[in-house]
Amino acid sequence: MPERVKSDVGTVVAALDYDAELMLRVKEGDGASFGVLLEKYRSPVVHFLYRMIQNGPVAEELAQEVFLRVYRSRSTYEPTAKFTTWLFRIATHLALNALRDGKNEKGQERLDDDSSDLPVRQVPDSRPSVEQDMVYQARLEEVRRAVATLPEKQRAAVLMHKYEEMEYSQIAKVLSCSESAVKSLLFRAYETLRARLAHMA
Amino acid sequence: MRCPIETGESTELFLAYGARKLGAEGTVAFERHLKVCPACSELAALQRAVWDALDVWEIGPVAAAEFDRRLFQRMEKEGSWWDRVIRPFRPLWVRPLLVRQGLPAAAAAGLLIFGAVWLQRPAGLPQTPVSTQVNVVAPDQADHTLEEMELMREFNGVVQAAEPKL
Repeated sequence: MPERVKSDVGTVVAALDYDAELMLRVKEGDGASFGVLLEKYRSPVVHFLYRMIQNGPVAEELAQEVFLRVYRSRSTYEPTAKFTTWLFRIATHLALNALRDGKNEKGQERLDDDSSDLPVRQVPDSRPSVEQDMVYQARLEEVRRAVATLPEKQRAAVLMHKYEEMEYSQIAKVLSCSESAVKSLLFRAYETLRARLAHMA
Repeated sequence: MRCPIETGESTELFLAYGARKLGAEGTVAFERHLKVCPACSELAALQRAVWDALDVWEIGPVAAAEFDRRLFQRMEKEGSWWDRVIRPFRPLWVRPLLVRQGLPAAAAAGLLIFGAVWLQRPAGLPQTPVSTQVNVVAPDQADHTLEEMELMREFNGVVQAAEPKL
């Protein structure tokens, strides 16, 4: 009977969230499932942290810590929420702590030095003219600075909404607040961004 | 459609419209309203402009092999650190096969030794002290004994009286 119940729970979890199912396998000692999760979420986590911190090496270090914590917590993992909610909750927590500790300061100083940061995806044209490249870099810099000026929680909410395409309910769980609070955070954040970036249209 | 700015439903609607996630039916209804509402039209255009501007910030791929190598190295290092901490306790639980087979074997051996000692103990030794025996005599048993003694005395008296005098 207990096995039947376990199997049913497994089915529900799988239907709800395949990643949670993978994490349950990691809990049972399946290292390959951890590899699948790592492959799937390595880039989203690093990119999210990079946009939060704006420092490539620190973002990668924090992403390592995120996956390390996921691995460490495998024995106590319970699929009470979507796996990504849990993952980004850890990532956001680490990012907010790093920002408070001023770990990103070095990166802020070197914001113009792309060599120390993660590579930025190149413009679609494989051979952009110097002028096109300069325009692109200027726009990129403006976006980065605009995002960096947002308060930490607003920044996290916008990044999850825009780049990770998370729903309000999920962002609310990550930030430990209500859905209406998330909408309010997003409204204020986009209001600031509209004032700073609308001319780019 | 009522003006979302007036009804206070603007946030979700404008964000969804800006992200092009409103759905076909919703978009048609909203755009119909935008044509007649300059305030909403301006806000919608600005939100869409911001959404598109943020698209500029695309980040290239992460160096996966290097990232994973470092991560697994840290996981291994952490594992070996943990190993060092638990090493003194390892024989107690890290070898479950030994524990699973060793404990019953030890219990069986102990039982055999106990049985052997029990059978080999000296037979002449009193099992319990005398005082213990007295303690366990029931009161009615004592009465019976006294009665029997009385009967014996009477019987002896009768026998002696019946005997011819020599």
